[in-house]
Amino acid sequence: MTSPKLQEEFGPIIAALAGALAAGDEKTFYAELDSLVEQRERSLFGELRKLTADLQSALVRFSVDSRLVDLAEKEVPDAKLRLDHVLKMTDEAAHRTMDLVEQCAPLADRTAKEAAEIVEMWRRFRARSIAVKDFGQMVQRMDVFLESASADMGKVRGNLSEVLLTQGYQDLSGQIIRGVMKLVGELETALVELVRLSKGGPRASEAGADAPAASRGFGPVVPGVDHGPAVGDQDDVDALLSGLGM
Amino acid sequence: MKFLVVDDFSTMRRIIKNLLIDLGYQNVTEADDGQTALPMLQAGSFDFLITDWNMPGMPGLDLLKAVRADAKLAKMPVLMLTAEAKREQIIEAAQAGVNGYVIKPFTAVTLKEKIDKILEARAA
Repeated sequence: MTSPKLQEEFGPIIAALAGALAAGDEKTFYAELDSLVEQRERSLFGELRKLTADLQSALVRFSVDSRLVDLAEKEVPDAKLRLDHVLKMTDEAAHRTMDLVEQCAPLADRTAKEAAEIVEMWRRFRARSIAVKDFGQMVQRMDVFLESASADMGKVRGNLSEVLLTQGYQDLSGQIIRGVMKLVGELETALVELVRLSKGGPRASEAGADAPAASRGFGPVVPGVDHGPAVGDQDDVDALLSGLGM
Repeated sequence: MKFLVVDDFSTMRRIIKNLLIDLGYQNVTEADDGQTALPMLQAGSFDFLITDWNMPGMPGLDLLKAVRADAKLAKMPVLMLTAEAKREQIIEAAQAGVNGYVIKPFTAVTLKEKIDKILEARAA
């Protein structure tokens, strides 16, 4: 038994073919045969197109899925480690800065207090109203003051330079945060793409960001996030470069 | 001695500039990436380039290569001051002709040592 759909689709052509064959009408026979073949090809191509579209959609879904799996399994935990490192770095920098400021404060206080006391004697000396005994004491105090002020202010100057250098955390943490922002953007794109695909919509963009070009750099080393062999400190850099003849 | 300091973070540029001033180098100009720096180098009379690696626009490695490829700038001392710490990157920078490589975070002493060493080597 043939289905009604087949009857409807091919019945008239086959009847026409049979009629033409019986009548010996060669021209009509071949015309009907061509029409039959063409109709069959059309439906085959239709199936093939549908199959291709399904395959393409499955491939897109697979690439979004695998990117999401990668993001969820590797890069999001890495991002947490990176942000932890930023937290640690900013904490250390803030404490280091405050330590240095706290070291400076008593030195500045001591210098200011000593200077104020000497100024009083100095005024009396300038007004020629200082006793010889007090003059000797003033000279002694000035000797001590000049020496300690020089040492204290040297220390303050050193600490100020150190405070300046400590602010370098902003560059390093900024680079790490930028990396995490990029990852969040990528995650957003992959999720949007997934929602679009689940609704059967057209593909909007390529899922997954491009791999970073090596010439652009990788950012600061983050403990626990491995991106290949890295040097530990400046001594390692110097050793490596000296090995290269520099 | 005229320095050009290239870094995308303004905080880091200020730090380097202040350290250079402490070392007695008063003439320091800043640029925020290689793309901005290259025309400044080509137009100006800079004696020393200190550059970061990881920057938007043109990264430091590309700037270094552009400097070495420019006949007028080819001999300029270049110090890379960067957080990039992969062995292969340091080797790549050395092959591209960098004169010194300092990794962040760095100390004032390290910066001074490297600058002195580069200038001594040039004077020799």
